[in-house]
Amino acid sequence: MSHLFTRLAAASFVLATAAQAETVAVITPYLAQPGTQFYVEAFQARAGERGWEVNVIDTAGDVAAVISRIEDMVTANVDAIVINVDPAQVGAGLQTAAEAGIPVVGMDAGNDPLVAANITSNGYAMATETAVYVANRIGGAGNVVMFTFDPFPPVQVRGVMADAVFGNYPDITVLDRITPDVSDGGIADSRARMEAILAANPEPGAISAVWAAWDQPALGALQAIEAAGRTGEGIVITGIDANPQAREAIAAGGNFEASVAQDFAGIGTAAADTVARLLAGETLVNRVIYVPTVLVTAANAAE
Amino acid sequence: MTRLRRFASLLGMAAIIAFFAWQLPDTFLTARNWLNISQQVSMLAVVAVTMTVVMAMGDFDLSVGAMASLSGVVAATLFVAGWPVPQALAAALALGLLGGLVNGLLVSVIGILPFVATLATLTIYSGAAFLVSGGRTIFGRDIPQAFSDFARGGVQIGVANGRPLLLPALTLVALAVAAMCWVVLEQTNYGRRLYAIGGNAQAARLAGVRVTLLRLSAFGFTGLGAAIAGLMYAARVASANPTQGDGVMLTAIAAVFLGMTLTENGQPRVLATLAGVIVLGVLDNGLTQMNVNSYLREVMIGAIILAAVTLSALSRRRR
Repeated sequence: MSHLFTRLAAASFVLATAAQAETVAVITPYLAQPGTQFYVEAFQARAGERGWEVNVIDTAGDVAAVISRIEDMVTANVDAIVINVDPAQVGAGLQTAAEAGIPVVGMDAGNDPLVAANITSNGYAMATETAVYVANRIGGAGNVVMFTFDPFPPVQVRGVMADAVFGNYPDITVLDRITPDVSDGGIADSRARMEAILAANPEPGAISAVWAAWDQPALGALQAIEAAGRTGEGIVITGIDANPQAREAIAAGGNFEASVAQDFAGIGTAAADTVARLLAGETLVNRVIYVPTVLVTAANAAE
Repeated sequence: MTRLRRFASLLGMAAIIAFFAWQLPDTFLTARNWLNISQQVSMLAVVAVTMTVVMAMGDFDLSVGAMASLSGVVAATLFVAGWPVPQALAAALALGLLGGLVNGLLVSVIGILPFVATLATLTIYSGAAFLVSGGRTIFGRDIPQAFSDFARGGVQIGVANGRPLLLPALTLVALAVAAMCWVVLEQTNYGRRLYAIGGNAQAARLAGVRVTLLRLSAFGFTGLGAAIAGLMYAARVASANPTQGDGVMLTAIAAVFLGMTLTENGQPRVLATLAGVIVLGVLDNGLTQMNVNSYLREVMIGAIILAAVTLSALSRRRR
């Protein structure tokens, strides 16, 4: 009997909360970017299932306006705020939200003590996936050229993981660990550096693979190999991010064999689920929540 | 008729505020919200009131947004180079003043139309901002804590809901700049001569006003104002990138035009400009709180500006 009462009480509580829909604000300066649109659409879909009222605010590139809109949403007393911008740049707004006790969730935003949780992709896992792909494809033996960029922390992480994987194979030698000049986007300088390495290692089979910490150097290396007429040597190239140009190269079935794609829609959905946990009163122990990524090869590059 | 026009604009502004007060009874007319609004529009206010100085002469300056971006990245770059905060800020402000005077030189001494001259310098200042920063955003530990803390601080004027109410530091900066521009334009011979140039430059020259020198110097205000706003922006977001101030230019000109619908003879006046700035800030704040789609919000703000200016133009034609 008491069980029935508890259930009735619980049910009426659910009804009461459902009647007063939660409002959640999603604030970003980057809605025009394709990745962001995927996050936001997936977030809205999941929020719709939960019956939330979602207010999507795009400040069209203006980061200070993100702070202003966070302040406005705090004034409007929303239940939660989701941001897709570097938290370090909107600290003033996060402070306001924290003082009002309104939780802020990051959608691929970066970590910050004032962000309850950041939903993003695991850079460590992405790099491990492509490095292991390279090691397996070359049978655990051969010379590998690495393109890394340690000055940028998210990319530095990727290089560390590839170092560990290649270091674990006694017969894999890292021929060179190159930091390309990225001021022109990274393709042109990577191509020039790769051309120099090809010239220094003229015999077929001297280079087994190129592992790049992101797609642009992989594309540059591919151009260098094609220009040198050495596409037939079976040099395996991998990148990370799976940008459209990389997907095209992978789908063409040449030396560029693999990259890793972030699951943007998955990040949006997971952000909504995280908001739900916070609204339910849960305290999140881990403030970084990773959404699995997808290895892109010729088999699925066109998707 | 003039009275009717000014009256109608004022009534319109009051109607906007009344509408939000009615729609958002719990949150809109609170001290905290208005202090928020004052902080949100502070950068726009600085650019708009200094823009008023050149618009008093019938000129305008399209390069202010680019200059705001440039001053932010210059200060941030100097921070990275190890300069103390005051010196870095002084250098950025000096650059703003210099950039404004270059505009003045082009417009008054060489005689290029303000639209063309400041469009060209807009491109130059914007390009310079990219050059200085290498196209990157400068943030994190490169920005001194004292600099970004300034934009989060203020003077405590009370307590509401258990949280302190601050008169934001950025609001105080905007008020100081507005007061300075008001004194210059309304209380000095210098200001009266700028309005004389705006009325009829030829007549002013014949009356002995040194038109060339005055026009040149007045552009110093917009340059300096843009640099101040750029630094305020950089402090607020604790970072600097080469495009962050760009958006302020058109909004500032819109604020001055909105203000002009309030004044006698449709002249740009500092206090009227401030009213225009506040209307724009209130629209952003109120429509956001009412969950109006952000793109629709922009369309509505444009339409309201157009309505105000149309009303003003129609009444002037009938006069």
